[in-house]
Amino acid sequence: MSSSPPPSSAAASPSCPKKMIALRSSDGETFEIEEAAALQSKTLENMIDEDCAGTPIPLPNVTGKILAKVVEFCSKHAEPGVDDESLRAWDAEFVNVEQATVFDYILAANFLEIPTLLNLTCNVVADMIRGKTPDEIRKFFNIKSIFSPEEEEEVRRENHWAFE
Amino acid sequence: MAFSRLPGDVISRIFSLTTPRDACRVSSVSTAFRSIADSDQVWLQFLPPDHCDGVVLPPISPKKSLYLHLCDHPIPVGGNRNMSLSLDKKSGKKCFMLGARDLTIAWGDDRNYWEWIATPESRFNEVAQLQYVWWFHIIGRIETSMLSSGTNYAAYLVFRFEGHQEGFDWPVESHVCIGSEELDEGRSVTLDPREGEPRAVRERAHGWMEIELGEFRNENGDDGTLVCSLREVVSYKSGLVVEGIELRPQEMH
Repeated sequence: MSSSPPPSSAAASPSCPKKMIALRSSDGETFEIEEAAALQSKTLENMIDEDCAGTPIPLPNVTGKILAKVVEFCSKHAEPGVDDESLRAWDAEFVNVEQATVFDYILAANFLEIPTLLNLTCNVVADMIRGKTPDEIRKFFNIKSIFSPEEEEEVRRENHWAFE
Repeated sequence: MAFSRLPGDVISRIFSLTTPRDACRVSSVSTAFRSIADSDQVWLQFLPPDHCDGVVLPPISPKKSLYLHLCDHPIPVGGNRNMSLSLDKKSGKKCFMLGARDLTIAWGDDRNYWEWIATPESRFNEVAQLQYVWWFHIIGRIETSMLSSGTNYAAYLVFRFEGHQEGFDWPVESHVCIGSEELDEGRSVTLDPREGEPRAVRERAHGWMEIELGEFRNENGDDGTLVCSLREVVSYKSGLVVEGIELRPQEMH
């Protein structure tokens, strides 16, 4: 490994080794996140590149309550030296929340383009669907069916093998 | 209601993470779910990749119809069409059949012992018909990379009898292994058990029968070559017709 230090960029500050990014939630709360963690979000990556350095990045689609958790997720996933098994266990705990919160995470992960969080949360919902009957799915997610009886009959017939 | 807050492409992604059977059940939930659950975006995820590993998918639209077609109509794989692919309907897992021409059959090139005949009951151009042999040894090989990952498979010999049948009331040794490593001690299978003896042979479509040769689990498809073999080299045998060896996903509970 070379002993000469890398050329410093104009913004480098030797006394502050980790660059922090400020984020502002829809309800006005501010959060700080390490750059490495923020880069997990493609949306934030683009915004950071545009050099909005200093002013907090406004995220009108994410509340403070959810943004706090997203920051936690990204920070954990940017941590060096975490083995796969521990991370998986941590992820499982992270999504061990009520249904509405999982959906909040999905929306935030989609908006912020965080592939790891989006995959994790979509899989959680997929797990909730797997193996259920249509009635059970409706009940679980509180969905009102607006099929006419004829339409419902038609769909059932088309997909009869899935009900055997 | 939580789902209505999600954009369509996210709902598609969620549905495609379930199974084909779940996607069909989900389409019975509501009109909105139906249009997403039946979409090409979802069913594309349940299909094997096109133009990959010798697989060329027929030009059927929409993707859901193509999927259902592949469940009931095996398609040829590879240039010489000696292998076929179909899908297990509920799970979408791949099911392969190695045609007789794709197998290594001892003495298979000697017309005294084995004849190659065309028959309309087979999906393949030719099947192998045994005249007679003492050295009965058939081997089928497939790369585990072609199989569906995270899947339990069983291998089956697909066969029938014709003409003078002899020697198959004795057991034949079957083995399923990865490369040269044996997965278990193998088993004895009797293709034509005598009356009163246990019968592991099952009937299939088009007059064929099948018998299970062994099982294995394909985790990531990186175990190399799967080898299925059938062997009995002591007694005189005749009358067997071999269509191939099928690798079928097992239902997981």
